[in-house]
Amino acid sequence: MTVSGADATTVGVLALQGAFSEHIQLLRLAAESLKTRNAHGSKWSFIEVRTPAELGRCDALILPGGESTAISLVAARSGLLEPLRDFVKVLRKPTWGTCAGLILLAEAANRTKKGGQDLIGGLDVRVNRNHFGRQTESFQANLALPFLGEPGGEQPFRCVFIRAPVVEKILPHQAGIQAEEASSDDTVVAPSKTPFDELAKEELNADVEVMAKISTRSPALRDNEDHDHPGTEDIIAVRQGNVFGTSFHPELTEDPRIHVWWLEEVVKAVLRRQQFELADRSI
Amino acid sequence: MATELPTTNGTSAQDGENTFAVKAGLARMLKGGVIMDVVNAEQARIAEEAGAVAVMALERVPADIRAQGGVARMSDPKMIKEIMDTVTIPVMAKARIGHFVECQILESLGVDYIDESEVLTPADAIHHVSKHPYRVPFVCGCRNLGEALRRISEGAAMIRTKGEAGTGDVVEAVRHTRTVASEISRAKGMSEPELRVYAKEIGAPFELLQETAKLGRLPVVNFAAGGVATPADAALMMQLGCDGVFVGSGIFKSGDAAKRARAIVQAVTHFNDPKVLVEVSMDLGEAMVGINTASELKEGERLAKRGW
Repeated sequence: MTVSGADATTVGVLALQGAFSEHIQLLRLAAESLKTRNAHGSKWSFIEVRTPAELGRCDALILPGGESTAISLVAARSGLLEPLRDFVKVLRKPTWGTCAGLILLAEAANRTKKGGQDLIGGLDVRVNRNHFGRQTESFQANLALPFLGEPGGEQPFRCVFIRAPVVEKILPHQAGIQAEEASSDDTVVAPSKTPFDELAKEELNADVEVMAKISTRSPALRDNEDHDHPGTEDIIAVRQGNVFGTSFHPELTEDPRIHVWWLEEVVKAVLRRQQFELADRSI
Repeated sequence: MATELPTTNGTSAQDGENTFAVKAGLARMLKGGVIMDVVNAEQARIAEEAGAVAVMALERVPADIRAQGGVARMSDPKMIKEIMDTVTIPVMAKARIGHFVECQILESLGVDYIDESEVLTPADAIHHVSKHPYRVPFVCGCRNLGEALRRISEGAAMIRTKGEAGTGDVVEAVRHTRTVASEISRAKGMSEPELRVYAKEIGAPFELLQETAKLGRLPVVNFAAGGVATPADAALMMQLGCDGVFVGSGIFKSGDAAKRARAIVQAVTHFNDPKVLVEVSMDLGEAMVGINTASELKEGERLAKRGW
């Protein structure tokens, strides 16, 4: 189990709906693995988040797979939507979204339900929902994920795609909302928020990095008739500063490597925050 | 608190394969959510706006099937297609027990889950559908552990209680959930030879029973179904350890469907928070009238008895 205390880093998993238990289990595995790897080891506390008070305790957050429309409606009715936007875009704390979570973190999304859906935002990308088609087109593919280590030097990761979205376009960072995206009828955008200090602004304005792609010629996609578009690759993982999104479900494997990598990123982000605040005070 | 479901259902996949892990994976994405019966696109939109994680498309809700009698079959694919084209959440549809051609049609139509359901009139008195060869995942009903494990061994990637559909009476869903739980807790204490005898006794495959005993829960996602009519019913099923809730007739046979649907969604997320439950239970208008299963339902009218 996790150790909680004053010096523990608290990582929340949004538990309104979906595969939140799976993320917590993999976070525990990842923390074990980190403990055996480095002697100092951070102390971690992993909690389920259903209320603004629980969110307030978190240093970092995961938005799990689930149904993004349901999660966003329940979040709004549970008084969590604005606190989530503040968490990701004002306080700019480390956040990771998988599948539905990636959709919620996108600044713009396509193919949403009639009347659109509320987004949290935080990643300057446009996602295309259910990109590969319906459940019968769901699949898994063993992919090399460059951010986990030297290309080819690491074992491929079993990526599970379930009615998955992809990042269709990387958008230029805007001072306000993604106005050009908003002008398209089929696209919804997230509201704009102002980061509360210089560091938050830096993390929010960082460039979007493409972390992983899948080739449209991948054997996993060869027989999919619904999946037809120009280009030879789909973007399936991105990062912008301390916010990360994957269109697949690392929480549906027994492989904690991505969770380990992400917790290490969280440690770095928390450290950046501490150093910034220290420097800030000394001025 | 429900026992944790380990993170994966199998790891042996090759690239591109739509495996059991992928099928059981969609059910995991529905956890903590509500799946609502709808009979047309308009109801499907109400369900989607209420926060349903999926809809079950069917021509008549169980309460009407019960009232009207006759043979209940797979719905018109055209009507299912309209619902699929209207909402972006997953769309499920029902096939008759053992009717593998209805399943082929639904798979080809592209529904996201098939419910091989006792609510429809069974097409085969002996056999259930062999569900492993399909790309589309299946959910099946159960009254007890043996039945649940037989369905999983046939390929069901998700289980639900049978309850007693179309009654608005939650007593059977509670009975089925408690039965499965008590049988699992019996199995947990057994040695291997005892488990072999128990597997024979309840008609379950030994390996699945052994896995279930080890996990302390069913190895796939398990929803409540059959008789859930109020937010309190839904939270009751969640507190008893179910992973989510199907609501059939309970929503669109009630006074204010949209409001009740929203309330049940909130109750399933916040099932352990009595403050939220008070709030969402208020002023919901009339619940579905309901049939008292103990006193008003004859043995022959029980849908849960269909299948084995």
